[in-house]
Amino acid sequence: MASNKVPITRLGKFFGESDFDLELEMGKEWLHGDMNFTCVLYKIDRYRTNTDDVYGETVQDGIKFHPPIEFKAYVKIIGTENKFLGTSKIEQLEPGTMQLSIYIKDLEMMGVDIEYGDYIGYYENENRVRYYTVSNDGRVTSDNKHNYGGYKPYYRTIMCAPVTNNEFRGL
Amino acid sequence: MNLEDYKMPFPKQIKKNIDLIPNKVGLARRKEMLQEIEQDGTFLPKSVLHADLDRGFLDFVKDKLGFSVEGKQVPVVDIIVTTQNWAQFTQTYKFQDLDKNASPPFVTVVRSHDMKYGSYPSTVYTIPERRQFFYAYVPSFDGQRTTVDVYQIPQPIPIDIKYTLKFICNRVREINQLNKVVLERFSSRQAYTKVKGHYIPIKWDNVSDESVMEIEKRKYYIISYEFTLVGFLIDEDEFVIKPGITRNLQLLEATGGKARRQPRKPPFNTDKFYENVLFLPGTTILSDKFSEKVNLKLISSYNISNYEIWINNLYYGSNSNYIQVNSGDSVRFEVTKKDDNLESKLSFQNILV
Repeated sequence: MASNKVPITRLGKFFGESDFDLELEMGKEWLHGDMNFTCVLYKIDRYRTNTDDVYGETVQDGIKFHPPIEFKAYVKIIGTENKFLGTSKIEQLEPGTMQLSIYIKDLEMMGVDIEYGDYIGYYENENRVRYYTVSNDGRVTSDNKHNYGGYKPYYRTIMCAPVTNNEFRGL
Repeated sequence: MNLEDYKMPFPKQIKKNIDLIPNKVGLARRKEMLQEIEQDGTFLPKSVLHADLDRGFLDFVKDKLGFSVEGKQVPVVDIIVTTQNWAQFTQTYKFQDLDKNASPPFVTVVRSHDMKYGSYPSTVYTIPERRQFFYAYVPSFDGQRTTVDVYQIPQPIPIDIKYTLKFICNRVREINQLNKVVLERFSSRQAYTKVKGHYIPIKWDNVSDESVMEIEKRKYYIISYEFTLVGFLIDEDEFVIKPGITRNLQLLEATGGKARRQPRKPPFNTDKFYENVLFLPGTTILSDKFSEKVNLKLISSYNISNYEIWINNLYYGSNSNYIQVNSGDSVRFEVTKKDDNLESKLSFQNILV
C-alpha cells in the first residue's frame, strides 16, 4: 500500500530539508568518523528459537539469532553499583546500564530495527564483549529532544540492561 | 514363576528395594541412636553449639534440598556469608561470570543473628537451675582399685535459629523446581537434619518473592524461603565427671536419757465420745458433774437389773436410754445390781449439743 507523504514545511523560513540533511551528515561524520563506537546487534530469530510453551523462556544457549549486524551509535554506560543481590548477603558489582543514541537514518539504511528484547554486544576491549538486552527501544521519538529543533525526529535513545552469561553470551 | 505369567499385578505393598540389614525399631533403635550420638567420642555426647547447628542446616540445604537444572546441579554457597568478604569468593568462584559476580542460578543461606530461647518441646521450661543429671557410669582404675566415674550432664538448652534460603535465578522453571523439592521435603510439616547424631527438626515458616524487576536494570528472581531450626545446645564444658561411691561407712550415734513423750493425739471425733460409769463391788451410787451440755445415749449395761437417774438431786427417771444434761448439771446414778459381788457398768455415748 502506497503511503502518503506530507512535506514538512515548519521552520521553513530559516530551516529546511537540505539544512536538516546537512546537519545530519555532519553529525554522522562526527559519530562514524570521530567517535566510531561500534556495537553488534543480535536480533532474535523467533522462529528458530525453542521456547517454553508456558513461560516463553529458553534454556541456556538456546537463543537463536540472525546474523549479527554492526552499527554505530553514541554509547554512554552508567556507572557500576556495588550492592547485595537483593536481600541475600552475596555482594556483587552490578554493571551499569548502557544508553545508545543512534540515527534513525542509519537504521533505515541498514534495513534493520532495534526492538525490545534484542541483544547488543559492546566490545569493552579487544578480548571482552559485554552483552546487553534492550529494555527500552526508544521507538517513540515525538519529544522535542529527539526532534531537530522541532523539525523532524532524527535519532533514537535506546536503553539496555546487562545480561548474565546464562541468559545470552553470543554463541 | 512370575506374577506376570499369571497376568497378576504386583501387590501394592511390594517393596522393590529391600534393605539387606533390617531397620531396627523400638528399644533397639533407641540404642542405635545413642551409639550414633556417642560415636567416635567418649562416653559423653559431643558438644552441639551454634556452629554445629549452622553446619547442620547448610548440609540439609545441600543434601536434602539440592536439585539440578538442565542437567547441572544448582550450586549452593556452602557457608553463612559474614562480614569477611573474602570468604564469599571461596564459595562462589566456581560459578562466577566475567565480572566475578556470582552467576545465577544458585542458592545461598542467610542466618538471622537474633536467636532466642527455643521451643524444642522436650526441653523448654522444665528443669530450673541447670541441674546436673546422671548420664552414665564409666569404669575407671585409680591405680589401686577398680571403681566407676559418674558422668553427669545438664539439660540441653533449647534454641530457635531462623534461616532464610535465597534462591537467585532468572527462569521460572527453576523456581518451580526448587518449590517442588521444598514442598515434597516439608509435606510432613517438618524435616530433620542430623547434627552429631542428634535429629534436629526444621520447620518451614514462609516463602516470599523478592525478585528484582526494575524495568531498566538487570532482572532476576529471588525467592526467599524462611525456616526455623528447632535445636538445642549441649556444652561439654558444663559436663561433670566425679568418682562414684566405692565404700559406704555408716555411723549410728545413740544418747541416753528420758524418752521423749509422744504428743497426744486429738480425739477422732470431738462431737462424740464414750463414757463408762463403773460400779465397783459394794458400790451402787455414783455421781458426776458435766461441764458441757450433752445428750447421754445408753449403749450397754452390765450386771444391772435396774437404775435410777437424779439430776441436781431431782428425780429424772429410771432405766432411761436417753438423758439430756445441761452444763454444770450434777447427775447421780443409783443402780440395783444383779450380783452384788461383781462390778457393774453403764456405757454411754456422749453427744455434744
